[in-house]
Amino acid sequence: MHSLAPLNLRLCMSFALMALAIGMSPLARAADDGKTRYTEEIEPLVMEYCLGCHGLGTKKGGVSLDEFPTPEAALNDRVLWHSVLKNVRAGLMPPAGKPRPTAEEIARLEEWVKRDVFLTNEQDPDPGRVTLRRLNRVEYRNTIRDLMGIDFRTDEEFPADDAGYGFDNIGDVLTVSPLLLEKYMQAAETIVTRAVPTAAKTMPVEVLTGSEFRAEKGSGSGARMSYYEQDEVAKTIKVEHDGTYRLVLELEIDGVFDPDPGRCRIAFSADGRELLSKDFAWADEKRETFAFEQAWKAGEHRLTIALTPLEPAEKLIKKLDMKVNSVKVEGPLEPEHWSRPKNFDRFFSDRSPSTPEQRREYSRDVLSRFAGHAFRRPVDDRTLDRLVAIAESSYADTSRTTEAGIAQAMTAVLASPRFLFRIEETEPPKPGEVHPHLDEYALASRLSYFLWSTMPDEELEKLASTGKLRKELHNQVKRMLADPRSQALVQNFTGQWLQIRDVEHFPIQPRPILRRDGLPAIPDSLIGSLRRLMKQETEMYFSYVIREDRSILDLLDSDYTFANEQLARHYGIPGVTGREMKRVELPEGSPRGGLLAQAGVLMITSNPTRTSPVKRGQFILENILGTPTPPPPPDIPALEEARQGISGREPTVREVMALHRSNAICSSCHSRMDPLGLSLENFNALGMWRETESKQPIDASGTLLSGKSFKDIRDLKAILKTDHRADFYRCLTEKLMTYALGRGIEYYDVATIDRIVNDLERHEGRFSTLLLGIIDSSPFQKRRQVGFTASSPSQPSQNGAKP
Amino acid sequence: MTPVRPQQEQVAGLLNEAKSRRRFLRGLGACVALPALESLLTQRVEAASAMMARAPGVTANGAAKRVAFVYFPNGANQKAWWPTEPGRDFALSATMQPLSPVKDQILVLGGLDHQNATGGKDGPGDHARASSTFLTGVRVKKTSGADIRAGISIDQVAARHIGHLSRFPSMELTCDGVRKSGSCDSGYSCAYDYNMSWRTPNMPMAPEPNPRLVFERLFGGGDYGDRRKNFAERQSTQKSILDFVLEDARQLQTGLAEKDRGKLDEYLSSIREIETRLQRAEASGETPDPNVDTPKGIPASHREHVRLMYDMMALAFQTDSTRIATLILAHDGSNRAFPEIGIPEGHHSISHHQGKKDNLEKIAKIDLFYMEEFARFLGQLATAKDADGSSVLDNSMIVYGCGNGDGNRHNHDNLPVILAGRAGGSLQSNAYLKMRGKPMSNLFLSMLDHLGVQGETRFGDSTGRLEGI
Repeated sequence: MHSLAPLNLRLCMSFALMALAIGMSPLARAADDGKTRYTEEIEPLVMEYCLGCHGLGTKKGGVSLDEFPTPEAALNDRVLWHSVLKNVRAGLMPPAGKPRPTAEEIARLEEWVKRDVFLTNEQDPDPGRVTLRRLNRVEYRNTIRDLMGIDFRTDEEFPADDAGYGFDNIGDVLTVSPLLLEKYMQAAETIVTRAVPTAAKTMPVEVLTGSEFRAEKGSGSGARMSYYEQDEVAKTIKVEHDGTYRLVLELEIDGVFDPDPGRCRIAFSADGRELLSKDFAWADEKRETFAFEQAWKAGEHRLTIALTPLEPAEKLIKKLDMKVNSVKVEGPLEPEHWSRPKNFDRFFSDRSPSTPEQRREYSRDVLSRFAGHAFRRPVDDRTLDRLVAIAESSYADTSRTTEAGIAQAMTAVLASPRFLFRIEETEPPKPGEVHPHLDEYALASRLSYFLWSTMPDEELEKLASTGKLRKELHNQVKRMLADPRSQALVQNFTGQWLQIRDVEHFPIQPRPILRRDGLPAIPDSLIGSLRRLMKQETEMYFSYVIREDRSILDLLDSDYTFANEQLARHYGIPGVTGREMKRVELPEGSPRGGLLAQAGVLMITSNPTRTSPVKRGQFILENILGTPTPPPPPDIPALEEARQGISGREPTVREVMALHRSNAICSSCHSRMDPLGLSLENFNALGMWRETESKQPIDASGTLLSGKSFKDIRDLKAILKTDHRADFYRCLTEKLMTYALGRGIEYYDVATIDRIVNDLERHEGRFSTLLLGIIDSSPFQKRRQVGFTASSPSQPSQNGAKP
Repeated sequence: MTPVRPQQEQVAGLLNEAKSRRRFLRGLGACVALPALESLLTQRVEAASAMMARAPGVTANGAAKRVAFVYFPNGANQKAWWPTEPGRDFALSATMQPLSPVKDQILVLGGLDHQNATGGKDGPGDHARASSTFLTGVRVKKTSGADIRAGISIDQVAARHIGHLSRFPSMELTCDGVRKSGSCDSGYSCAYDYNMSWRTPNMPMAPEPNPRLVFERLFGGGDYGDRRKNFAERQSTQKSILDFVLEDARQLQTGLAEKDRGKLDEYLSSIREIETRLQRAEASGETPDPNVDTPKGIPASHREHVRLMYDMMALAFQTDSTRIATLILAHDGSNRAFPEIGIPEGHHSISHHQGKKDNLEKIAKIDLFYMEEFARFLGQLATAKDADGSSVLDNSMIVYGCGNGDGNRHNHDNLPVILAGRAGGSLQSNAYLKMRGKPMSNLFLSMLDHLGVQGETRFGDSTGRLEGI
């Protein structure tokens, strides 16, 4: 690689000028303008501020800015310049203590990178390409809820989804392993069996649980009766028709492992007539069912279960109980009283077909509607033909109803890639437009999966089918945010952005934490509810910002939060009563307010028994300021080496970290992370306020790399809200956009994000500005033209720099 | 703790446990001696030995060879882990005491390295690398984004050769029921932390944490006696929709861009695999239905969970449902607390022990906790009689190890590794062998030899076979 000193570049430029005189395409001329601007506007900046470390043979962090093999290479290395842009914007480069470019100079660099390196076309920017996305576990569950009317627990049945860029809805990493596909096929079958009735009329069944059978006196019920105590429980039910009813009694013997001598007699009666009288002995877990037919008149009927001990009470060893699991009342058995099963109208219509032609027509009708919903776009004829064929071959077996045959085809629909993946199609390109818009069905799905994590509802589908969705977009977004389903955005976005999902299972160990801080223990029974409240606080807070269209700066600091009595007490906020979570005004000077002072965030950035300033600092860098991860040092020395220097006593957390920073290799990261993390030391790992740790006063003060000093978290929040406002705007925009698109942020998104950040500045950070900015953006609305070549962002930069 | 009857202890282990599991295990004991099961195995053995005398995946007597890989997290307390003197008939170390009943089946391997898990130019992220390099032997691509890339793992290489001999080519299990959100270790995708088995360099085999689902997948849903029917019904439905979805995927594929086609390829190849499996299931006759209760789900206690997952592996091996399994006890970097053995701190936090005695003792305790459960599992396999008259353990190779050496140093040399079982008699066990800096990948190649697999000359960063085993 030959070194291209500025002189060489100028030499090249003169050739380029000659070429220009001969006549070139406008694009080539633009590129030449870019080169001109490079030599005239950018190179002097690079020479002044960067080459000391990144040039003339020195390649700190593996980055050099003067070794481009050809002049084009300088402009073509988009990954490198994207990285330069991010580092300069974040104030990471030039590093502390080195001369810094002026605001005007930084703006000049930004402008040049966007225009001449990224070649951003402001009118029709490259929207990028979202890889075909399969539904993740959450989306699958919600889609099944809306499509089939049942709750299928994907969190138990499916393996966890892999995440990319911090979110679990990224197309590229959502793979389909054989195991998962097998589960999809099995789920399809289970779901259809549970949700789709296979006959137009079914026999009514009422299921009574054991606890519905009550004793005349006291609190006893059929849920559990001891073998050694006389007991009688009863339940009265009402039936609407005269007819034959079948009563199915299910009993369960519940003993311990070792045999017990107990025996008892169970008598089951209807309206005083004994239907069953049977003796039972020990079993450690055994179920038995008994069925009886009864001719009943319409009206009330009383069912009684009596237990008589057959051994004296003193024989009891440990435990031996009889449980009434259920009594099913089925009937009337006569078909004229059968009724339409639940969920029938969701899938089927009133017609009951009889001839083969009618059955086929009916199947086609039902399946067309169903597959259209399931695929989130109309189903093509060929696919529909094949679905009807499945139904037909299934109900050709005469023992099956038409509905059962259709159900079989529905199973195929739920296993189809059109259901499991989000297939996106585009509108025909408009004249003069490079990148086509998504078609309205694809747009409807993007919206609904973004805001609701589920399929489009009827209104969206209707608008898409009539081609009116795009025109109605803002109204629809408003409607969708007002719908309770938008809670999915709150839960899934904040759950992952802030990792609040992890609060409920985080392995926190309250006892040692509270002991160290000299605080009273929290009963184990309250920890569970405390975890839920922590999660709820953050969710309600974010939800409030969305629904009230507040400034997103409220997320950094505010004079309110959400709490109930328990959480308020945890926080030391007086005057909050009751169990209900509600908006709480914070007292003057309270350290609370803002995400960083919320217990959930403070907990998941801790270790199980103590705080972790490193984790907390890193959390702020990554999730609040969006500071790029610096290139990692090659060999990390062991912690004990970093600790040498203090002997004879236990160093404080602050001291250990100071030692860490004194090591040059560690300091590049830790001088950024540590002051931020230490500012939160007044909050213990449970998020409670404290003034001392191990009886030492806590020092939460610090100085940021920018030189700004702060006394504690209150000061820091104020600094973040003013000096780092734009960083936060950009960070949140990038996170929300990643979540909305299901792909990582690339250099061609920079212009879009800058525009949204500017709009946020103009509109005091309103949430709607952010949300609509993303929804209206080219990446959300369009898809990259087939064959359009953008320089691949994953292509390694010649410098090996990381974006 | 309830007093234990000795013969029950063999199969049931400790008894102060949730009832469902206890009943499950009692059944499992019965299953070991289940005559129908033995005859089932014998039939297969006869068929196998008649067809191929020295085929891959079978012992000289024609019994199935099994291979499993078990991962424990965060390195080991070095002092407590390593035996003092190498050689045959070595003395077990403190941590390995629970292995004494099966010591004649144990090979302790010292000096095995995973150089590709070291920092090198990739810097921090030793936990993600420890997990993801462990069975692949490659340097995984450092990314938290879309372009994950590891390598094909050794269990999947084995599955390519002998996976077709059992109803399921392989089985992937984990005791990490809940995953962390966001990105994982120092810029590595969580896929590297939570997966150990890789079917292709960019397709991890997501492991199953729920013992109920493992069981139902192997034997069908419902109660004992109904499962065979349920399993068959599920298969017949699957067959009826396979053709449809296969055609559907093909039709879709024509209109898609390259990357999207790749996603659909994953779908298609998975469909084909299910197709093959269905055909194989039909050919192999009746599905086994062990006379035990279906486990109920993920238990609250970690020890319970670990045991149930081992039980699933034992059951799968005994019924010859699969011959290849992997189990992650917890991902590397796991910060699980162990209040049940008096350790409230997170495992990862204390694994950075800084040489402190207190921390080191706690790590040794956790190491012992995991070792007790591993020993219990080996005990189960040792008492399970295989079709050729030896024990299932005799015919197995079980690797137990970690991709981190010392949690404090994050080193990836001299990894703690045990190889249990005798591969049908070809392995000389009851020894502590010191290798002095050989790639783990060499061990994996040698294991393929012991499996009878041919044609694999390189794996990961292998430099050859591991001498001496």
